[in-house]
Amino acid sequence: MSGKSRRDFLKTSALIGAGVTGLSATAKAGPKNILSEDRMGVLVDTTACVGCRNCEWACKEAHNLPAGNLESYEDRKILETKRRPDHTALTVVNEYSSGKNSNLPVDVKVQCMHCDHPACVSACIVGAFSKHENGSVTWDTDMCIGCRYCMAACPFQIPAFEYDKALNPKIMKCDFCIERTKEGKVPACVSICPVEALTYGSRTDLVKIARDRIKRNPDRYVDHIFGEYEVGGTSWMYLSNKEFAELEFPKLGEKPAPGVSESIQHGIFAYFVPPVSLYALLGGIMWISKRRKELDEEIK
Amino acid sequence: MKKIFAILLVIVCAVAINAQQSPGKDHSKLNITCKTCHTCDVPTKSEPCLVLCPRERMVTVYQKPEQTPELIVMDQISDRYGPVYFSHRIHAQMSNMGGGCEGCHHFNTSGPILKCSNCHESTRKRENVSVPDLKGAYHRQCMDCHREWSHDTGCNSCHQLKKDLKDVKKDNIQKKYAGKQHPVVLEPTKLVYETKSDKGKFVTFYHNDHTKQFGLSCISCHKQESCTKCHDVNRTDKNKNLKVVTKKTFEDQHKNCISCHSKTENCNKCHNDKIIEPFNHAKSTGWALNKYHINLSCTKCHGTKLPYKKVDNRCSGCHQNWNEENFKHSVTGLQLDENHSAFSCEDCHIDKNFAVKPSCNNCHDDYSFPKQKPGKMLKK
Repeated sequence: MSGKSRRDFLKTSALIGAGVTGLSATAKAGPKNILSEDRMGVLVDTTACVGCRNCEWACKEAHNLPAGNLESYEDRKILETKRRPDHTALTVVNEYSSGKNSNLPVDVKVQCMHCDHPACVSACIVGAFSKHENGSVTWDTDMCIGCRYCMAACPFQIPAFEYDKALNPKIMKCDFCIERTKEGKVPACVSICPVEALTYGSRTDLVKIARDRIKRNPDRYVDHIFGEYEVGGTSWMYLSNKEFAELEFPKLGEKPAPGVSESIQHGIFAYFVPPVSLYALLGGIMWISKRRKELDEEIK
Repeated sequence: MKKIFAILLVIVCAVAINAQQSPGKDHSKLNITCKTCHTCDVPTKSEPCLVLCPRERMVTVYQKPEQTPELIVMDQISDRYGPVYFSHRIHAQMSNMGGGCEGCHHFNTSGPILKCSNCHESTRKRENVSVPDLKGAYHRQCMDCHREWSHDTGCNSCHQLKKDLKDVKKDNIQKKYAGKQHPVVLEPTKLVYETKSDKGKFVTFYHNDHTKQFGLSCISCHKQESCTKCHDVNRTDKNKNLKVVTKKTFEDQHKNCISCHSKTENCNKCHNDKIIEPFNHAKSTGWALNKYHINLSCTKCHGTKLPYKKVDNRCSGCHQNWNEENFKHSVTGLQLDENHSAFSCEDCHIDKNFAVKPSCNNCHDDYSFPKQKPGKMLKK
């Protein structure tokens, strides 16, 4: 953590401390709703994905992680075990048995879903996470204090932590290739996908496209766009020929996830009432016991 | 003024075409419902209200595999990998029972065969992402079948890395595929299906009867066959004849049969407790087929309409032009000798009933057919 950002953090804390009563109301509002009408997203068509894992390689290359040789990704043995994204691979592809009307296995790319109402942004106590207008959810390594609240809050268990690093460990997750998209490029995984199973476009368009595909190929898809409504909507959405629960997608409601983490956090800290009342209670007990002592002494 | 109007019209058309490949001038006369492409009831040039690219049943241009190009070089988008030398003709033959031309050429309403790049853009970052880009479209066409039988996604089976390209020469590849054909698919004689039906566990299906006798073409049943039915890297000679367990629904299981055998037919027509003998015309109908009739397809006598109509067992039922003058008795397998050939039919065939045994009593007291013959039996 750099000195500057520590100072920033302390400044923020001091400000919050100074204006507890005034500012606590704004703290409860959570991340500002900056969802743009033409925010971007990715539609993952798992019926088109061939499980070549080129996206894994491209992602590592784009994020300066050790990637190895692209040809080595043709080895399909690795798909025999289920993997999760971690600090060495921000996205992974898992393979499941075939779905309806198909002899082919179902391959599912896993990465950050870039929620419309991200729980990580809301849970982060130092504001290291932010939701951007183009849909991406990113984090600022320099501000992160390593509390790992984001990991607990994420409904998809995405943020990973560099546990093996003793010094300056980082939270790692897909950043929707924000550096690339700023330059007008598409995300690295989308760019390399040989079958364009990953379609990058405006989220509104993608929902329309996904609905159209389901309508026109009812034999090919289950009637569900995962991510359209889950936890209030996500930037990454999935189509499949198998129930999503069978593909190890979490079963989630349509309520935005921050609601849960926020209500816990804000419940504890709301208006600083619980801590203040605790101190008041303790103070009261102290006062009573002191007074009792005094009275006792007076009687003596 | 006219000129300006013409230019404007061209621009309007160009805009419409740009959005989707034009289906041709007379496309409204095609055998396609308008709603396949248009969402509104009255589409106009300016408001065509097109659905996102229609994919199904939109092909009217067909060619025989033999008429198609032998080899196609796909090199428009090669970057990391070299071009793909696609053996088109042999793939066209392979697809005969797997969806045919439409399997890949899914949109070709009229006119010459469209290039994929007519609709599929070559850039991934684009306005209209409803259809995959060219790279995605190509790979999607190939990968589904290739993955099914190879169980891998190796790039090298279709194209080589550019650095390894020096070994690949177009001439060599052209030679490799010159005149190459998909081998004729061997057809089974008999298939036995073990079912769970309580109406009879076994269904004995005589495949050769259905193709040769009943004249069914391969694609009347095998419409969407997967290559893995024959080709699969996991298939070895050892497990070639192993039982295959299918997970089809009742409807899918019976779909191919009930297009001819009506649903109302008795289950036992196909289902039996034991494996049954092939169809025998003599046993089932009491009328053995001679050397002429055996070569005919069923439809020749029984008509194409199902169920087959019953046929009069008198020759004149079919051979209406036969009369005493032009009839050659030798077609029956018996060549009349000189004496007998002068008689009229009724002399031996009482009341012209050819289904019953002929009588010799008109002339001979103690003769009977076939003990005594009025001529020479020909070899059957």
